[in-house]
Amino acid sequence: VKVEAIEVEGRKVYSVRAFNEGVASYLQRLPTLWVEGEVTELRRQQRWATVYLTLKDPDSGACLAAQMPRGQFDALRLDLVDGERVHAYGRPELYTQRGDFHLRVLTIERFGLGAHLAAIERLKQKLAAEGLFAAARKRPLPRIPSLVGLVTGNDAAAKRDVLSAITTRFPPAHVLVAETYVQGPRAAPAIATAIRDLCAHGADVIVLARGGGSFEDLLPFSDERVVRAVAGCSVPVVSAVGHEQDTPLCDLAADVRASTPSVAGRLVVPDLAELRASLDRAHILLGRGARRIVEQHGRRLAGTRERLSRAPLLVLERRSSRLETAHARLRALSPRATLERGYAIVRSGDRLVREPPAAGEQLDVEVARGRFGARAD
Amino acid sequence: LSAQTFEQAQAELEQIVERLERGDVGLEELTKLWERGEELYRRLAAQLADAQGRIEELARRLDAEGAD
Repeated sequence: VKVEAIEVEGRKVYSVRAFNEGVASYLQRLPTLWVEGEVTELRRQQRWATVYLTLKDPDSGACLAAQMPRGQFDALRLDLVDGERVHAYGRPELYTQRGDFHLRVLTIERFGLGAHLAAIERLKQKLAAEGLFAAARKRPLPRIPSLVGLVTGNDAAAKRDVLSAITTRFPPAHVLVAETYVQGPRAAPAIATAIRDLCAHGADVIVLARGGGSFEDLLPFSDERVVRAVAGCSVPVVSAVGHEQDTPLCDLAADVRASTPSVAGRLVVPDLAELRASLDRAHILLGRGARRIVEQHGRRLAGTRERLSRAPLLVLERRSSRLETAHARLRALSPRATLERGYAIVRSGDRLVREPPAAGEQLDVEVARGRFGARAD
Repeated sequence: LSAQTFEQAQAELEQIVERLERGDVGLEELTKLWERGEELYRRLAAQLADAQGRIEELARRLDAEGAD
């Protein structure tokens, strides 16, 4: 295609059509390739020759308009609906009349099992690297939840199992049920929204329950939006999705993984009868403990009191025995003991006679058993 | 004085008894210590009786509620 420019005052100028055709012919040189995305805004009408759809990246939200001849699309018998993941094989194209860019699709393949598994594995690696599945993130469940949030399908056996397990074990439990799509392309955003809504309504634990299903049925529970909603939930999440052998990524992000919806129900509430019994036991022990402490103090105080009442007498006895000893020693030192041995005390008036007195001096002699007068020679 | 806790009063009483039992106490101090000891004993005994009474009262009230 030759793109004609016109000369205006020495400047090369292109008409819109010429410009578009130029770009279109440039795009035609790009290779035909596979694009992976989620189908949205699928428009197919009997009277249209072309089927229009938009391919979208689920995580980044980037969009690409795509179109395919209706005959070819119908021949694939895909029955595609919005939200499904596909691989589209085509090449970029510019609609020159409108300057619209799109992918001209030659064929579409629904995401196969292998592709799904590979995509889940990639997502698992990415989220694990972010630490979303780390054991350190797991939170304990509340012992007695004030409001249990339940995310489940409407009229599902899973819902009935969770509710009956909860009410059997703990009849006064409050449960708020958020019924959502649990399979198909609309499920993932609906589940993520339900989790956030239940948090906003004050749930302090959330149960995510879905019975068993095919691999494709359980895909929404490995969707990045759901896994992030579970990991980012402000309250603990119990995941009971599919059967024991299924491990959707939401199980890894949840705080507790339950093997079945019934088990999940039993995990989130305490056994009321058991709770009553342990409360009664605690009550009895409380009374016993309090009484024992008072008794212990009472015994200790009584012992101390007895010692106290004996103590002053003890002190006095010790004192008086010391007094007796001193007295005995005092007596031992008395001059009387000396007189007993035959000595005498001689006085002249009041004065003790220590030197020979003058002749004729009147003396007073004291001996052990009395006294008598004498005169000096 | 009344700012003393049960445990503090108990410790003081026991110290007084130990001193008296060792006997290194003057006669004037003996009377003082003994009176102080008796006062501490009366207060501690009253506090214990009060605690006991409150426990029994609570137990009776809870039993009455439990019987409803």
